Amino acid sequence: MDLRFAEGAIVRDDFFLVEIDRFQGPLDLLLHLIRTQDIDVFDIPVARITDQFLQVIKGLDAEDLDSAGEFLETAATLIRIKAQMLLPHEGDDDDEDPRAQLVRRLLEYEQIREISQRMRSAEADRARRFSKGFIPARPKRLHQEMPLETTWADVLSAALSVEMPAPRQGLPRITARTISMQDKVVLILDSLQDRSGVEFSHLLKGFGDTMHGVMTFLAGLELTRQRVLFLRQSQPFSELWFYRNEEAEEGVTEDIGRIEVDT
Amino acid sequence: MNTPQIVEAVLFASDAPLTPDEIARADERLDEDQVEEALQILKAEYDDAHRAFHLTEIAEGYQILTRPEFAPYLERFDNVHRPNRLSGPSLETLAIIAYRQPIGRIEIEYIRGVNSSGVIRTLQDRSLIDIVGRGNGLGRPLLYGTTQRFQEHFGFGSLDDLPRPDELPIILKDRMPLQESERSSDQEKISEKQGLGERPADEEADNHVNEASQDSGA
Repeated sequence: MDLRFAEGAIVRDDFFLVEIDRFQGPLDLLLHLIRTQDIDVFDIPVARITDQFLQVIKGLDAEDLDSAGEFLETAATLIRIKAQMLLPHEGDDDDEDPRAQLVRRLLEYEQIREISQRMRSAEADRARRFSKGFIPARPKRLHQEMPLETTWADVLSAALSVEMPAPRQGLPRITARTISMQDKVVLILDSLQDRSGVEFSHLLKGFGDTMHGVMTFLAGLELTRQRVLFLRQSQPFSELWFYRNEEAEEGVTEDIGRIEVDT
Repeated sequence: MNTPQIVEAVLFASDAPLTPDEIARADERLDEDQVEEALQILKAEYDDAHRAFHLTEIAEGYQILTRPEFAPYLERFDNVHRPNRLSGPSLETLAIIAYRQPIGRIEIEYIRGVNSSGVIRTLQDRSLIDIVGRGNGLGRPLLYGTTQRFQEHFGFGSLDDLPRPDELPIILKDRMPLQESERSSDQEKISEKQGLGERPADEEADNHVNEASQDSGA
């Protein structure tokens, strides 16, 4: 197949494989072929354009039947026109040029494309003009901010209660954690046997690992979810209290132990 | 209080375009002509005083909008979400609908040469087009037309602000008489649809389809 294109246009076959996606449809592609080669739309060399068109659509993805069908339909039209032009005219002068309808469609499409370019710039102009309300009110704060009422003594005692992590020596060892939430549930419930409330820090006494704190807290949350407990804190950053929910139904806690956290 | 001030107050308090008719509701003694007159006075005042905003004719109404040269300053603030720019296929489809409305999907697809149902749905979701009637053809196809929001999106004062086909640098003018007739019928449709607030009655829509299908079938 002899493909001769205008300068700067398509030369290699594989160009088509990639570029077919660039076209919005068969009319777009046809226009491209015509315009890049400076062809007079009113005198389209159907044979040449058909060959080029077929060459380009070889790269179509056969699985995308929808868009492939659209290109194939136009290819069929081109071939029909080509055939009609080969047939001898019956001498009737008012016979329409077989290309006329296609030309009308192409020109109409081109016009639409031109109009949509203008609309694009109108859209851009509009986007630079704003009405009232463009800058919205400041978003409302979601939570009321609590003023931090802390004395230096509080800060100092908090600082002192932080255990400094021992500097790491050697390679870190990764060990499986063995703390189960079930243990912590039992611990919490045991502590609440003879009183109605217990401090979170009290539950941590005797356990060194941060992980114990995490698991105790999770167990507390889980029990709260099950309405066995409720949690209270008098103010931010103060002691967290676990209280027994006196209205708790009997037996709800039985399953909790089975919610094993994968440790 | 004089009329321009009343009109100004109404426009200031609104964040959408208002028609003179709507503005006139502010006072029983006002009629549309007086409002129009006041609008022209305000417009001139803003321009003469080099205000940062002007009175813009948009979507069959009037709205106070900032001048485009202030966009870079305003864009530095957090701002309310604005609609995205439209894609190429969306613009193409909108252009066809704007010029040929009311128009059905099949004709749109004939002009574009590709399936357009997805694009049509997107445009409908964005309220840029709407169903305006049903055609006479097989299955009484749905017909689409552009909406007020379409004009707002592009900043058109009315559909007359669309580029006229005869302004476009397109070759065919004198070479294809048939295009000539198509073009004039396009314009008729556009001017008939000027009052976008009123949807064309079904009957009227059907007539247009007949015309349009004759055109495309030619």
